[in-house]
Amino acid sequence: MMSIPVSYAQPSWLSHLRALFAIARKDWKQYWRYPLSAVSSVFQPVIWLTPVYFMGQAFSVNGQARGFAAYSGTYDYMSFILLGTALSNFIGSVFWGMGYSLKNDMDAGVLESNWLAPLPRPLLLVGRTLTSLLVTAITSALMLGVAGLLFGFRISGNGIAALLTALPMLIGLYGFGFAFSALVLIMREANTMVDISSYMVQLFSGSNFPVNVLPRWLLPVALALPLTYGFDAVRGFLLKTKTLLPIPVEVALLVVFMFIMIWLGLAVFRRLERRVRMLGTLGQH
Amino acid sequence: MSALVKSPPLSQPSLLAEIRALGAIFYREWKIFLRYPSWVIALIVWPVIFPAMYILGARALAGPDGSGLTQFLHAAGTDNFLGYIVIGTTVWMWQNIVLWDVGFALRQEQWRGTLESNWISPTFRFSFLIGSSLAQMVSVVIFLVVTLLEFTLFFGMRLDGSLWLGLLVILAAIPAIYGLGFAFASLVITAKEAQNFVFLVRGMVMIFCGITFPVSVLPGWMQGVANWLPQTHVMNAMRKALLTTGGLPALLPDLEKLALFGVFWLVAGYLLFVWMDRRARKTGAIGQF
Repeated sequence: MMSIPVSYAQPSWLSHLRALFAIARKDWKQYWRYPLSAVSSVFQPVIWLTPVYFMGQAFSVNGQARGFAAYSGTYDYMSFILLGTALSNFIGSVFWGMGYSLKNDMDAGVLESNWLAPLPRPLLLVGRTLTSLLVTAITSALMLGVAGLLFGFRISGNGIAALLTALPMLIGLYGFGFAFSALVLIMREANTMVDISSYMVQLFSGSNFPVNVLPRWLLPVALALPLTYGFDAVRGFLLKTKTLLPIPVEVALLVVFMFIMIWLGLAVFRRLERRVRMLGTLGQH
Repeated sequence: MSALVKSPPLSQPSLLAEIRALGAIFYREWKIFLRYPSWVIALIVWPVIFPAMYILGARALAGPDGSGLTQFLHAAGTDNFLGYIVIGTTVWMWQNIVLWDVGFALRQEQWRGTLESNWISPTFRFSFLIGSSLAQMVSVVIFLVVTLLEFTLFFGMRLDGSLWLGLLVILAAIPAIYGLGFAFASLVITAKEAQNFVFLVRGMVMIFCGITFPVSVLPGWMQGVANWLPQTHVMNAMRKALLTTGGLPALLPDLEKLALFGVFWLVAGYLLFVWMDRRARKTGAIGQF
């Protein structure tokens, strides 16, 4: 009588967790292999913010940006922008972590073999963001420290409420990430796509300015992005700025968007990923 | 006794051969550029979205009633912050593109595995850099025209000065901007992964040269550093040429400095190239990556 061999791969929640941990550990090792990149991710945002700081000086009277206060409710434009930059770093980390990592796997020739692993593919993508999120949290904290020393950074509100508000925003961002990764699979190009998309999302969600300065015809784009409400609510909590909507409404919107985006992102990912497999282009780059 | 017949070499280096080689390099680079449609899209999208972040920031700082503009006018000499920022960010992007494209031209040949074989061809080696730069210049011209059209047609950018003087400034800036690119490309032959040098150079331009603000708001020591960077003078001259009606006399001090910087960086770029080429051939680093 022939015995059926037991499969070595027994997918379970525990094996999924082990896989996530293995992916995160691999990325962590790879990241610290290039320590200059870490230094660069602390100082690059500071460099990019320097022109904004001096531009603010050119518009200020006795160090007070009165025009800015009329739009946002705070004179402290640098804290407003620094907070936006720190949150934007997370947008970048999801876009680069999910979209660009697939391109890296394509180039390294390991995407097809990874795809055969007994792990749900969206989870594979989530795994690629774990190290990236942790590293972003560390480098953003350091960036805030350095920029705070140079330009000043003062927050006075409820930090825990702000953190809890940022959470659904971040989870919702994964929905974006899933759909975006599927596009990378189809197009087989990531650099320009990731660069332009993440920059535009940051631009329209108001990472560096209050969105009510956008021209009227562009404002609907900003209001359609859930991240706009995330930025706005977090600033409302920490800087007591004028918000677009009452903060509880913005938080409720973020939670609703979180579910919609995850559902939509997964649906797009499954559809396009299936198409890529049918076309047989998964291993191409 | 059989006479040894010496056959003439097939390759006869001459000026015409150099021009043909330059044309071939130009053609190759241009074909590669068109092979990737996303690069073409980037050429159209980046000129708008990169300055947009700063322009919208300036709009916020100006306030709904434009009260911040009085202060900006006092500091910058113009209330046309849109034109002011577009010029600053465009010069920054130009230098950035040159550092990546020209600076990494030889490095890309290393990646493709073609540098060594090209190096033993009878072509003057510096021509490989010049050829890549010529192709890159065409894409920069497209980039500048796209920027000008997008901001004047769609965003109502006001240019009170002269486009001809703007062109003159571009011509005066080319030696310094590309000389720096040549110097950088030469370093990359030996230093290989030199992305952090690009970050350093473009970071310095961003911090010191006043891409979005008048240099006069910087502390004294920073103004001193800014004065030694050619990009500061490119931005100054370009703003005077396109945004003011001062004419050529207003540009002359900056043009003189640009000429000096141009000579310095072209000579430095060429000498560095010769030195790094010799060093890389001695150490065998030409074909390594």
